[in-house]
Amino acid sequence: MDSETQNPRSGMGDFIESIRDTTVMVKLYSGAVYYGELQNIDGYMNVSLNECREIRNGKVVRNWGEAFIRGNNVSYIGAGS
Amino acid sequence: MADVEVGVATEVPEPLELVRLCVDEVVIVKLRGDRELKGRLHAYDSHLNLVLGDVEETIYIVDDEDEDVESVRTIKKQSEMLFVRGDSVVLVSPTR
Repeated sequence: MDSETQNPRSGMGDFIESIRDTTVMVKLYSGAVYYGELQNIDGYMNVSLNECREIRNGKVVRNWGEAFIRGNNVSYIGAGS
Repeated sequence: MADVEVGVATEVPEPLELVRLCVDEVVIVKLRGDRELKGRLHAYDSHLNLVLGDVEETIYIVDDEDEDVESVRTIKKQSEMLFVRGDSVVLVSPTR
């Protein structure tokens, strides 16, 4: 059994591995957008970010510093700033 | 040789590790419904149920009767201790 069959999500793992420590955009269902350096993400889509900024109407409205975002609020995560 | 290690522990800390590091620290918690809590994190679990002490709750109320003029009022409440149900948590951040 190769690792691909044991872990069908390993392709996702590769993607996450490739964006870890880079700046990502996290969009929430509420419409809020956060940019930050991705520390890590888990299977619930819980996300931890460094230097997290909250963006509203194209403007930075808040600097959170380190932040944990609960996965159920996350709509999508985009690579690149 | 044939034995391949499965499930090698990741060196990178899980997201919840960040919350663990906030225990006994003052944190800001963003909640659903334009609410925020600032208080000392005493305990948490994997649902993000939280126990906070010495809490200040801020409720943001947006008055947008006029479409252009959008003013935000805030209401503040103090609590000695709060148990927060995890499903209302959006974000947890340590205060610097």
